[in-house]
Amino acid sequence: MLSKKSILQVDDLEKEDVIKIMDTADSFTDISKREIKKVPILRGKAVVNLFFESSTRTRTSFEVAAKRLSADMINFSASTSSLKKGESIMDTLRTILAMQVDLVVVRHSDSGTVKMVDDLIDIPVINAGDGKHQHPTQALLDLYTIRSRFKECRGLKVAIVGDFLNSRVAASDILLFEKMGMDVSIVAPSMLLPEDCSGFKIYSCIDDVIESADIIYMLRMQFERQGRKFYPSIREYNRFFSLNRDRVGRMKESAVIMHPGPVNRGIEISDEVMGGTRSPYSSVIIEDQVTGGVAIRMAILYLILG
Amino acid sequence: MGSKILISNGSLADPETGRFCRKDIYIEGRLIKDIADKIEAGSGDIKIIDARGMIVMPGLVDMHVHLRDPGFEEEETIESGAEAALAGGITSMACMPNTSPAIDSPHLVKYVIEKADSTDCSIYPVAAMTKGIAGKEITEMGLLSEEGAVAFSDDGRCVSDARLMFEIMRYSVQFGKPLVLHEEEYSFSGYGLMHEGKFSTRLGLEGISRLSDDIIIQRDIMLAGKTGARIHITHVSTSAAVDMIRRAKKNGVPVTCDVTSHHLFFNDSFLEGFNTNLKVKPPLRSRDDQMALIEGVKDGTIDAIISDHAPHLDTEKNTTFRAAEFGTIGLETLFASSYTKLCRDNGVGIDKLVRLLTLGPSSIIGINAGKISRGKSADITVADPGADFTPAADSFRSRSKNSAFIGQKLYGKIKYTVKKGKIVYESGSN
Repeated sequence: MLSKKSILQVDDLEKEDVIKIMDTADSFTDISKREIKKVPILRGKAVVNLFFESSTRTRTSFEVAAKRLSADMINFSASTSSLKKGESIMDTLRTILAMQVDLVVVRHSDSGTVKMVDDLIDIPVINAGDGKHQHPTQALLDLYTIRSRFKECRGLKVAIVGDFLNSRVAASDILLFEKMGMDVSIVAPSMLLPEDCSGFKIYSCIDDVIESADIIYMLRMQFERQGRKFYPSIREYNRFFSLNRDRVGRMKESAVIMHPGPVNRGIEISDEVMGGTRSPYSSVIIEDQVTGGVAIRMAILYLILG
Repeated sequence: MGSKILISNGSLADPETGRFCRKDIYIEGRLIKDIADKIEAGSGDIKIIDARGMIVMPGLVDMHVHLRDPGFEEEETIESGAEAALAGGITSMACMPNTSPAIDSPHLVKYVIEKADSTDCSIYPVAAMTKGIAGKEITEMGLLSEEGAVAFSDDGRCVSDARLMFEIMRYSVQFGKPLVLHEEEYSFSGYGLMHEGKFSTRLGLEGISRLSDDIIIQRDIMLAGKTGARIHITHVSTSAAVDMIRRAKKNGVPVTCDVTSHHLFFNDSFLEGFNTNLKVKPPLRSRDDQMALIEGVKDGTIDAIISDHAPHLDTEKNTTFRAAEFGTIGLETLFASSYTKLCRDNGVGIDKLVRLLTLGPSSIIGINAGKISRGKSADITVADPGADFTPAADSFRSRSKNSAFIGQKLYGKIKYTVKKGKIVYESGSN
């Protein structure tokens, strides 16, 4: 059991909840390594992936998690025209409630909409990303990946690099990482930062943190999400913010590189650092994030529905 | 001889003298016959309002209301807006021209005036300053004035073209009418949904910088200084704007300003629950800005309090925060919300509050309202400062229910509204 029925934002999670989720995820990682990757814990439960915004990774991750616990998973992709947003959400919810499901995983391109869904229905809701607001399960899986690598999180130095302004991942990570006693800085150009940055540690070049950080967390440079494109060019971005072989070579021995995916090769991270199906660098733990994501989502589904 | 009403034992707030003291008021027909310390009810048929412990004041004046008529009658009409106003103690109001079609030609001014005649509220049309509120061509300000427009405004839109604004100002001087200015620099407000600050970052909602308002206010103060036009900056929201206007007044620029009751009552921290009824333009700003607005009320920089009553259909508000329309209704909560925030929470005198809701706005738009004296039309509002209420969506007379104040405990319930000697609203009578 968690302290709230739904997970809408990191703020809703008590520290004990976070630890309980992490510990439960630990106990579930073994399941995914077995030959038969399935346990009957949530048999008979129905979970809906309700995605108003397209997604492959997060949707699939929830789907795999639910299936490994034997829950039934229903994928429901709803497109929404901006004019009739309210109505289409209501109508979709009516349909879903009529199917008598036990939990809804929701993603929407507008901030606050998952809370709106939660206000409208009684069953638990998990936020799988709402606009630029939050993506709490991403933050949990990021923390889980870090905890698995470093054991103790308190005091770790994290540098979040890139488009902070448009990133729900960064917003959620900062809240969760700080809650767990980590030291977070942001590396970003001015136009990808809010007007008021008081309370944040800001750097304007990745070189300022590359040697001291324990975790370099690269954000997607989401050119498609910028309302107006103020950032000058990719080569300028490469010069000040990208990870390349030289910069990786200057990182601490124990330091790691993370990314919420999908990586824009040649923008956030160079091709040579990314490699083929695996990176030549053991510090790149992007796939651990994906694996951890399944375990974390299994843990959440279990703690809410089990 | 019409009907007779005696309002006894109330405390009269007189904005002309600034006095707030116990008085009886005797009304006969449409007029105030007498105001004295003690008036005995004579014989005959007389309605006595016992106003012990209550505030008696001139019928309130709201100089900034959207009645949506013509064009958006599902949201509000002149008639339903008048009913809502009277329930809010408002007996005179000015309505904004961003209807469909916009009030940009004399026959539309006439339409509003004629339709308003059938209601119990005095309604004064504000006409557009550019044709179709498109910010391109100046309207027939002369003909519109002659037809009865009390002011000019493109409210809801800002005239971005500085040269055009300069010409509008010069021309307005020839007719002596004020310009009610909605100040917004679109390159800053763009996709914005709320105040740009700590909370917009936390909520992941695109921000609207204070600079959006401030840049244009600075521009228009310069233009007014140059042209001598009477400008009125409406819904001031930022601390810097209050400072600029304070300085401009000191320098003799003919500028006045108002603030909405919701900008006084709320700040951006209230948006944490993504309540779309709090999505307004300009956005609810930080607590520091809110305190600067209250300071501006106290030191006299702010000349009027308005509702900026902006009705919207349920389908326009009951949607995602991004898709929701901007605006809140406010006629029925104007007095109570301002009284609660200013007088109860921040020590503003009742005399000052009443002035900002009566004589302040009426003198800006030059209408005969907002006063209370012998021989004048009996437009009187009685409110009970001790009576609280918590608005709910179904408690409004307005056709629309999008109130930012739903769920907020407010003091200062309107008990009676008298217009031209007739009791047009009595609480509990709905």
